[in-house]
Amino acid sequence: MNIIACVKQVPDTEAQIKVKADGSGIEEGGIKWVMNPYDEFGVEEALKLKEKAGGDVTIVSIGPARAMETIRTALAMGAEKGVHIDDPALNAADAYTTAAALAAAIKGLPYDIIFCGQRAIDDDSAQVGAILAEILGVPQVTFVTKLEIDGTKVKAVRPIEGAQLVIETSLPCVITATKGLNEPRYASLPGIMKAKKKPVEAKNAAALGVSTDAKSKVAKMIPPPARPPGKILCADDTPEGKAAELAKLLREEAKVI
Amino acid sequence: MAHGIAPIGIGNEGRQVFWNADSFELFLFLFTGIAMVIFAVGLFRRWQMWTAMGKPEIRMDNVNERLKLLWRNGILQIKTWQDPYPGVMHGMIFFGFFVLIFGAAFDATEFHITEPFGIAFLRGKFYLVFSMIMDLFGLFVLIGVLMALWRRYILRPDRLTYKGQPDSTPDDAIVLLLILGIIVTGFVIEALRIHVTWQQAPWEVWSFVGWNLAKAFAGVEPGSAKAMHAATWWIHTFIALGFIAYIPYSRLMHIITTPANHFMTTLKPVGQLEPIADFENAESFGVGTLEEFTWKQIFDSDACTRCGRCQDGCPAYLTGKHLSPKKLVQDIKTYWLEKAPAAVAAKNAAAGDGKLAKLGRILDLVSLLGKYKMAGEGYQPPAERALIGEVVDLHELWDCTNCMYCMENCSASIEHVPKIVGMRQYKVLMDADFAPELQLTYRNMENNSNPWGVGSHLRADWAKEVGVKTLAEDANVEYLFYVGCAGSFDDRGKKVSIAFAKILQAAGISFGILGTEESCCGDSAMRGGNEYLYQTLAQANIEVMKAYGVKKIIATCPHGYNALKKDYPNFDGNFEVYHHTEIIADLIAQGKIKLQKPVEGTFTYHDSCFLGRYNNVYEQPRKILAAVPGAKTVEMARNHGKSFCCGAGGARMWMEEHGDRINDARAKQAIDVNADTIAVGCPFCLTMMSDGIKDHSKEESMVALDLAEIVWKAMGLEEEKAPVEVCAAPAEE
Ligand code: SF4
Ligand code: SF4
Repeated sequence: MNIIACVKQVPDTEAQIKVKADGSGIEEGGIKWVMNPYDEFGVEEALKLKEKAGGDVTIVSIGPARAMETIRTALAMGAEKGVHIDDPALNAADAYTTAAALAAAIKGLPYDIIFCGQRAIDDDSAQVGAILAEILGVPQVTFVTKLEIDGTKVKAVRPIEGAQLVIETSLPCVITATKGLNEPRYASLPGIMKAKKKPVEAKNAAALGVSTDAKSKVAKMIPPPARPPGKILCADDTPEGKAAELAKLLREEAKVI
Repeated sequence: MAHGIAPIGIGNEGRQVFWNADSFELFLFLFTGIAMVIFAVGLFRRWQMWTAMGKPEIRMDNVNERLKLLWRNGILQIKTWQDPYPGVMHGMIFFGFFVLIFGAAFDATEFHITEPFGIAFLRGKFYLVFSMIMDLFGLFVLIGVLMALWRRYILRPDRLTYKGQPDSTPDDAIVLLLILGIIVTGFVIEALRIHVTWQQAPWEVWSFVGWNLAKAFAGVEPGSAKAMHAATWWIHTFIALGFIAYIPYSRLMHIITTPANHFMTTLKPVGQLEPIADFENAESFGVGTLEEFTWKQIFDSDACTRCGRCQDGCPAYLTGKHLSPKKLVQDIKTYWLEKAPAAVAAKNAAAGDGKLAKLGRILDLVSLLGKYKMAGEGYQPPAERALIGEVVDLHELWDCTNCMYCMENCSASIEHVPKIVGMRQYKVLMDADFAPELQLTYRNMENNSNPWGVGSHLRADWAKEVGVKTLAEDANVEYLFYVGCAGSFDDRGKKVSIAFAKILQAAGISFGILGTEESCCGDSAMRGGNEYLYQTLAQANIEVMKAYGVKKIIATCPHGYNALKKDYPNFDGNFEVYHHTEIIADLIAQGKIKLQKPVEGTFTYHDSCFLGRYNNVYEQPRKILAAVPGAKTVEMARNHGKSFCCGAGGARMWMEEHGDRINDARAKQAIDVNADTIAVGCPFCLTMMSDGIKDHSKEESMVALDLAEIVWKAMGLEEEKAPVEVCAAPAEE
């Protein structure tokens, strides 16, 4: 089976995000870059599927030179090869342009199933997987927490509020992974060493023949306002008094009740 | 026999060697020869088995140092004496035997070597004292053996079991009965001789045991006494020769392997782990099969006497976990005994026509001793088992806190911890199969250089309050304060860092921190088997430290302290490393800080493993407490080298614990001595003891504090802050 997993390199969840003074983006210095956690679920599922059904796993990623580390991480986990789309013009790509570039790269590869994370934790758009499936013209199941594949039959579980959908479709398709699908593996040391030698093909927008024009652009980044300090209720010391004061504040100041 | 030797009599006391047995000499030689051959064959096979498997390792260097270890642990048996009952028991048998063998050698020397030249030295006063000493030590052996039998079969202490299941083998009884037999028959022979000869040799009263025992034969005809003497003489001889022949096939082998193991003890600093040298080109990492141990690690298990000292203080075992260091070593030994015959055969075959190989093959063929049978004709190797998972189960592997109790207290100098870490390395680096919570910890260390996964940019935030400069701001300082992860990110740990920084400031010590340039020390990664991650972190630290020209380092965390001091030199990181309790004790001694404010309470100091057993820092923390005005101190039952781990070492801090909690067991020990403060010198211990206090619902009356916090309080330089009165004044807008 030919399996593809798309990954994105994102800042670590604990990294301190500072918006550049001109609002054109974030300060990248000092940031630890990691594989998007949802993409990790995708890579893990791809590897599990390979281990069960045979075949190989190709990692596709868009990003500057540093994104190579993330591709290598996935290769260390056990994927066979990678495609690195490195084009400065794609650095500010929106979800559509990103999906289009991925689709262009994937079209040139044999594939039976494509895994994406349900969203990237940096821009949280949750669109790339879906658009990718549309462009490729294959079915998609998003937010998957359980996946069974039997021949070309696909059965996926997707939680919705208060229930779970069991969705059936067939290969080839796009699956976007979310927490609960699996526990991503820790790369073994031989895996890490071998990953250094695995092939990664470099591509740019021109080679893929895709437009780098974003359909939407980030006009400006503004950090969220500093959180105002907490308030201690002091007017009355009895529980009743405090409750009354709280109710008053919630109604009049916070206007939530 | 004696040529020109003055006759035995008053003034020239002595005894005739081979009395009533002089015609037995030839047979004695014959049987001795047979016993020696059996002994030699056994030893040769065992030798082949020791050398058949395992990676190379040098343990024969620095002979002087090694001889000292042999003297201390093998001859004086310092460790064995530390437990009174078994110490005395083993001491009596060992020293008794030692003296008896020397005595026998004296006898033999006189009889075979000096007498033919007309010299008899076992005469006169010397003989009398000699006889008395021999009887005395014979008696010691007897008492020792009876103590051993009593202990093993009647008292049955837990350490001679695994979770209450005695692990005695028939061998244990056979060995004790052999010794008992030798001594009892020896005394009977002596008694019968005295019974027959006492009138001519009244000085035999010096052989006081035989003399008194002789009274039991009162009334026995000299003729029958002589016959009985001869019969007992042969019984004695056969038991003694049997004993010798039995050595290589039984636990008696420890007479050879245990001292050898003392001789071959590692000379590296305590607890230092051998780094993996070449990640790029090595095929396999860690220990996944028996062959991946070094030969010495395998040999270790043959030196184990099953004494159970290690198990007696193993925090994992004592809280009901699967792990027992004794069982671990014994399981490896059993496995080795299963696998070695085939390895020996393979080695012999590969060696081709070497003489030893030929001898080995001949022995294979004539092998009659089923258990140690070499892979000759018809040999059925036991079913293949995996080292990890089957021989050593995964719980055992991960239960260990690396507390070093077992190694420190092992009477055979066995090195358990590197074996455990080696197997963990295999699980982590090769199989990448280990606890999910530990995987998370490692990811956190990879991404944010701390096990909690707090953003690495927050590392130096604690220092803002006290105005500590980083080396980037001012590198011209005497000490680098290596804060470590707990001191940087853990709320309790941060308080300790602040207290210690204030102490240094008050003492006028020039120091700085690395701030966000500091990395995790990597101890949890190293001891949890992730050597790759550990080395990455260590190298990052070493690089930064070297770039700033750091010479002296103080650490408040014993894990960082130990790693920096012992393990970083492996990567060319050579610094003078101190623990903060060493520095504080020094500042107090030099009068640079004054502890003037009484801090009332009953303090008990909990020895951190990585400070005490690993680095022999036992006294400084106690000196500090002793200097605190108003503080009363008590020791917990388990202290110093026998201290009980808090449960956090060896990456256990980050893992789920099954069964009873180790920290609760330790906190209970503090409660038992009515301490109201558990003083610690380690942030992990601090967390563990604080949690233990809570688990026993004692947080109202007990507290765990780092020594730095206690000292800062006692320095009385800071008004204790009243709890913040939030409603006191209206907040200014
Ligand atoms: S190091 Fe400590 S926990 Fe580990 S086996 Fe030895 S005594 Fe037990
Ligand atoms: S490992 Fe050492 S302490 Fe433990 S049982 Fe064996 S000899 Fe005794």
